[in-house]
Amino acid sequence: MSKVGIIISREYNERVRKKSFIITTLLMPILILGLMAAPTLIMLFGGSEQKDILVIDQSGIVAEQLQSNDEIHYIVEQEASLDESLKREELFGVLWIGENFIENNSLCKLYANSSTSITLEESIASQLEEIVEAERIKSEGIEGLSEIINRIDANVAMTTIRNDLGEESFSSGISYALGLGFGMLLYMFILIYGSMVMTSVIEEKGSRVLDVMVSSVKPFQLLLGKILGVAAVAATQVIIWGILVVGIGSAVLPELIPEQTMQSVEAVQSGAMTADQAGVDADMVSAIAVATDVGSLLMMFVYLLLFLVGGFLFYASLFAAVGSAVDSVQDSQQLQTPVTLPIILAIILAMSVFNDPNSSLAFWGSMIPFTSPVVMMARIPFEIPTWEIITSLCVLYVSTVCMVWVAGKIYRIGVFMHGKKPSFKELLRWIRSN
Amino acid sequence: MSILQVKNITKRYTEHTALSDVSLSIPKGSVYGLLGPNGAGKTTLIRVITRITMPDQGSILFDGRPITDNDIYNIGYLPEERGLYKKMKVGEQAIFFARLKGLSRKEAIARLKEWFIRFGIQDWWERKVEDLSKGMAQKLQFITTVLHRPKLLIFDEPFSGFDPINANLLKQEILRLRDEGATVIFSTHNMSSVEEICDHITLINRSRNILSGSVSELRHRFGDDIYALTFAGQSQSVKELLESMGEVLSLSEGEAGAPSELRFRLNARHTMREAISAINERVEIRSLSEVIPSMNDIFIRAVEGTL
Repeated sequence: MSKVGIIISREYNERVRKKSFIITTLLMPILILGLMAAPTLIMLFGGSEQKDILVIDQSGIVAEQLQSNDEIHYIVEQEASLDESLKREELFGVLWIGENFIENNSLCKLYANSSTSITLEESIASQLEEIVEAERIKSEGIEGLSEIINRIDANVAMTTIRNDLGEESFSSGISYALGLGFGMLLYMFILIYGSMVMTSVIEEKGSRVLDVMVSSVKPFQLLLGKILGVAAVAATQVIIWGILVVGIGSAVLPELIPEQTMQSVEAVQSGAMTADQAGVDADMVSAIAVATDVGSLLMMFVYLLLFLVGGFLFYASLFAAVGSAVDSVQDSQQLQTPVTLPIILAIILAMSVFNDPNSSLAFWGSMIPFTSPVVMMARIPFEIPTWEIITSLCVLYVSTVCMVWVAGKIYRIGVFMHGKKPSFKELLRWIRSN
Repeated sequence: MSILQVKNITKRYTEHTALSDVSLSIPKGSVYGLLGPNGAGKTTLIRVITRITMPDQGSILFDGRPITDNDIYNIGYLPEERGLYKKMKVGEQAIFFARLKGLSRKEAIARLKEWFIRFGIQDWWERKVEDLSKGMAQKLQFITTVLHRPKLLIFDEPFSGFDPINANLLKQEILRLRDEGATVIFSTHNMSSVEEICDHITLINRSRNILSGSVSELRHRFGDDIYALTFAGQSQSVKELLESMGEVLSLSEGEAGAPSELRFRLNARHTMREAISAINERVEIRSLSEVIPSMNDIFIRAVEGTL
C-alpha cells in the first residue's frame, strides 16, 4: 500500500471506530425520523384516555348533535346546573352553551378542571362550527343547499410542470425542504469535519508525531492522507444515514400512513383521480411521490456525495493549513476566521436561493468554489439544468486541487515552526517559497 | 568510508544563524556523538540531515552521493520530543509506523514481537499509548525508529527520562545495532554516555563546529601530561622530589594506612623513567597513571573557550 494509503487507513479507522462516531451515525437518522414521525406517534399513542365533558346546552339543539370520539366523551344532562356541575371533580370539564348560540357564536364556554390541549379545543370548536353551519343552512329553508355548497367548495391542487424539461417537478414546498436540508447538511459537515482536521493537525504538531513521521513520509503525503481519510469518514456517515433513513423510512412509513390514504395517493399519481376527489392533501401526495421516486432521490444523493467530498476537501485543506501554522486551538481563532466566513456566507446565500433558484446571485453562488457546495446543493432540488451542476462540480474539483497544493506549501513549513504565530503576510511568503 | 558527509552547511533564520559553515564526516559503523550546549544548533543540523529543513548553503553526501528525498527512508530518526498518537493502541501504532517505513504488516508484526519481548513490554500491545509511562513510550518510540533497520540512526537525547537500568538496556541495544552494521548519530549533553558508547564526537557551540575527532584521541590531546601517583610511605619526601623535577598539583594524604595520592607534572628536563626510579627509592608505588580528562571537562573547557 502506498504511504498515502496507509495514512488514509489510519485516519479512517481511528475515527470510524470511535464510540462517538458510531453513536452519532446510528442515532442521528433515528432522531430525524423520530422528529418526523412524532406527531403521528403522538396521535396514535398519546391522548388515549377519553375525557368526560359534561354538556349544559341551554339552546337545546347542539347537545344531541355532539358526537363523542376517541378523545372526548360528551355527557348530556339537561337538568344540571352550572354551579353544581363545576364542583364535580371526576369530570374533565363542563361545556356550557348559551340559549342563542346559533345566532351568537360566542355564547359557549369550556370550564376545564385541568389544562387543555389545542387539539382538544379545536376538536370541540370545529364540531360546534359544523353544527352551527348546518343549523344555519337549515334555517335558510332552501332545499339541497348543503349539497350545493359542497359542490361549490374548492380545493385547488396545482401541479407545476417544467415546460423546458418536459417533466413533472416537485412542488416548491418539497424542493424547499430538500434544499434547506441538503444545504444545512453540507454546511454542518464542512464546518464540523473541517475543524476536526484542524484540531488533529494541531494535535499532531503539538505531540511532535510529525517529527517522527517526517523521516518516512513527505509532509504533503501526510496532509493528503489526512484530508482524504477524514473525507472518507464523512462520506461513510452520509451513506449510512442515507441507507438508514431510506430503510427505516420504507419500513415504517407505510405502517404510519393509513392504507386508504396510500391507495388514494396512488390513484392521484396514476391520474385516475384528482387530489380533491381522493380527499387527500395535494402537498402530501407530492411528498409521498418524492419519497417513492427512487431514481431522482438516488441522483440527488450522488450529487450530495460529490459536493460533500469536493467541498470538504476544499475547506479541509484550508483548515489543515491554519492548523499547521499555529501551536494551539486557542491561537487558531484569528486565522480561522477567513476560512469560516465564506461557509457562513454560503449558508446565507443558500437561504436566498429559495426565493429565486435561478437568480444570478444563486447562479454565481453555486459556481464560486467557496460557496458552491452549499448553494448548489440548496438549488439542486429545484431542478436546475444539469450543465450547471457539472460545471460547478468541475470548478470545485479543479480549485480543490489548487487549494490542496497551496495548503501543502503552508503545511510543509508550518508544522515545523513552533512558537511565534505567523501573520497573513508570512503565510503568503510560505506559499510563494519553493 | 563515510556514510554521511556534511559540507559547509550554513542555515540562517531571520533573527539568528543556527549553523555557520559546519562540516563533519561520519564514519560507517561508528557511534557518533553530536555534542553541544542547549541552543548550539544540534537539532537544526539533524533537521538538515533528515531534510526537514533546507540549508542556505552547503551540501550533504549520503553514501558518497548528494542526499535525496529517498535517502530519508534509510534514516531512522528519534526526535528529542517524543511523538506518538496518544489515543492509539501500542501495537497498532507500532505497525502503522513500521508500514510507513515500508515494512509489510506481517513483517512488521514479526519484528515488533521480537523487540517487544527484548524490552519486556509484550503485555502492552493492546494498551493505549496515553496509559504508558514516559519511559515505556520512549521504548516504543525507540523500537519504531530502528525497526526497519535503517543504515543511519539518529537519536536526539535518547536517554532522557530513563532510569539507569533501562538506560543501560538502551545502551546495549545501540551498541548491538552498531555491531550489526548501522551507523548511529546521537545528540546529547550527557557526557558520561558519550565516553561509554561514542567512537567519534563533534562539538557544536554557537552554530559552529568547534571540535571533532575520535573520543580516545581527543582525550589524549586534551591531557595536560598530568599524572596521578598513589603510594604508601613518606609523602613529604616524594613531594619535595617531584617539586624539584616539575610541579605538584595536589596531594591527599592517605589516612590510617591507606595510600596517599599525588598529582604532578614533570618539566621538560626530566623523563618519566627518571622520576619513577627516584620515587621508587623513597616510597612504595601502588599505581601511576596519566590523568585523562573526562569528556565533561573537555566539553566545558571547549565551550568556555579555554582551549
